[in-house]
Amino acid sequence: MPYHEFDCSKCIPERKKHAVDKGPEDDLTKALPLGYLNTIPGSISERGCAYCGAKHVIGTPMKDVIHISHGPVGCTYDTWQTKRYISDNDNFQLKATFATDVKEKHIVFGAEKLLKQNIIEAFRAYPDIKRMTIYQTCATALIGDDIDAIAQEVMDEMPDVDIFVCNSPGFAGPSQSGGHHKINIAWINNKVGTVEPKITSDYVINYVGEYNIQGDQEVMQDYFRRMGIQILSTFTGNGSYDELRSMHGAHLNVLECARSAEYICNELRVRYGIPRLDIDGFGFEPLSSSLLKIGRFFGIEDRAQKIIDEETARWKPELDWYKERLMGKRVCIWPGGSKLWHWANVIHEEMGVKVVSVYTKFGHQGDMEKGIARCEQGALAIDDPNELESLEAMYKLKPDVIFTGKRPGEVAKKIRVPYLNAHAYHNGPYKGYEGWVRFARDIYNAIYSPIHQLSYLDISRDDIPGDGGFRTQRMISDVNLSQEVRTSKNLREYTGKYDTISPLREKTYPEFNK
Amino acid sequence: MADMNDKIAQLENFIMKKCLWQFHSRAWDRKNQNENILRMTGELLCGETVNTDSPTDRCYWVDAAYLADSFREKFDWLASMSNKEIKALFVALKERMDFVTVDGSLNAELTDPRY
Repeated sequence: MPYHEFDCSKCIPERKKHAVDKGPEDDLTKALPLGYLNTIPGSISERGCAYCGAKHVIGTPMKDVIHISHGPVGCTYDTWQTKRYISDNDNFQLKATFATDVKEKHIVFGAEKLLKQNIIEAFRAYPDIKRMTIYQTCATALIGDDIDAIAQEVMDEMPDVDIFVCNSPGFAGPSQSGGHHKINIAWINNKVGTVEPKITSDYVINYVGEYNIQGDQEVMQDYFRRMGIQILSTFTGNGSYDELRSMHGAHLNVLECARSAEYICNELRVRYGIPRLDIDGFGFEPLSSSLLKIGRFFGIEDRAQKIIDEETARWKPELDWYKERLMGKRVCIWPGGSKLWHWANVIHEEMGVKVVSVYTKFGHQGDMEKGIARCEQGALAIDDPNELESLEAMYKLKPDVIFTGKRPGEVAKKIRVPYLNAHAYHNGPYKGYEGWVRFARDIYNAIYSPIHQLSYLDISRDDIPGDGGFRTQRMISDVNLSQEVRTSKNLREYTGKYDTISPLREKTYPEFNK
Repeated sequence: MADMNDKIAQLENFIMKKCLWQFHSRAWDRKNQNENILRMTGELLCGETVNTDSPTDRCYWVDAAYLADSFREKFDWLASMSNKEIKALFVALKERMDFVTVDGSLNAELTDPRY
């Protein structure tokens, strides 16, 4: 597996060991990109900081909490509402963001008084909310404000509130991944074991590394409830602060995003003896095998099988409609840290696309091992790419669509490559059986958008055809399909509703005897 | 031997494409996973009883049961192997997985003493 040197990065020779091409006879012992290292000076990275990784990725999806940043207002503003981690309590955690608004005078004279004043003010402004997380930022870390001491002072004065402090300033690691680690460890050290678990089932899990992007958690929660399984806590999407304090009471940790949350699973295993089961919530086969494994663990695999049969019968014909139209399309999976391996194999098998590249902004070498192992030969794997490398890769690989964040996504649009938001999704949720069809629909819409086709024409240079009429998506996507596929009665386009999550919140579930 | 290597490669490819358990973040953890899950998979394929008394063992077992079912379905040559041959195959497969994921791995994080 040879390292891949980008032409644009020849002036930064250290970059060479951050990319590899997966060759025909290669395995992971031949070459592996470096990972989780400080970004090389001169390389304009797409990473976030450790504060962002702690607060934005993991802390703020908790739903019943005032999340406050102790620092300048920009830190909190730039980590607000850019990821759609919704919740079933009217999205409190998305509607408001809080900062202590540290200014120059506080840097000179200290900001602890300001912090205390802000904590009390925030609790008074939202009297129904009794829980708070506080995030240290670079500025307040450097001046040495003792956030823990201030939080304790407030808890002593206001006994009905509880506060979690996360000391993860922006510089505390090479990327947002450093912040994931810090908040995982801080939470288990300071909060797990401080609330008695409320057990309502014989089968109790923590659902870990799941952030309820556009409702992912609620889709999976629906399956678990149909199986009679109690989610004691979700770390952290749609998760409740006090439920997360009782994580020690679960029988099994079900782990989705190992990149951001394996640390707390590992610690729960070591400290409380709760085993860790890594699963995939994306794609029919991986999701089915995941549900079966969880069912088997509790001896209720028949309940899992019932869900698998029902959901597959309902949604597989729709997935296959898209598969016929996406066959052979070239895609780049360019997310943050975990979706490169969640998607690399199953998207190829179940949607028929060819994965020509995987990359990770902040993943570790372990994520690259998983991603490279799961993608097909010929794929280009890149660690912590810079913008010029992404452009060079797109010019060379000519993908039909890329899945990435909105910053690199907008860069892709400039060279007429459509993108889908891998972090916050376009029309998610993407987890679950229906969700996987929604993802296929988004890919189809991205590749075959008639409007996007027009972008290939340059009105200052090209002849604009005036006699062809408007070409619909179906006219473009079906041109090479057989008559049998085009007119198949067994395949159909997505028939789900615009909002798939609200009905789940009204749903009632079967009672299983304890 | 060529036949054995080919069989190991098929099983390894399936594990790499479909499983996550082999990629825990520390060397000792990966060795534990390889040892327990592959041993149990071999036992299941040989029709033996697997110990699932502790939660930890049950967690190994659910991954092993998935593998055993999948291997039976996808690799029909397994049906013609004796239990002794299956056991030998899984010893060799475990050695190969240890090499790819631990001993020959280029992942520098594997030996970090902290999680």
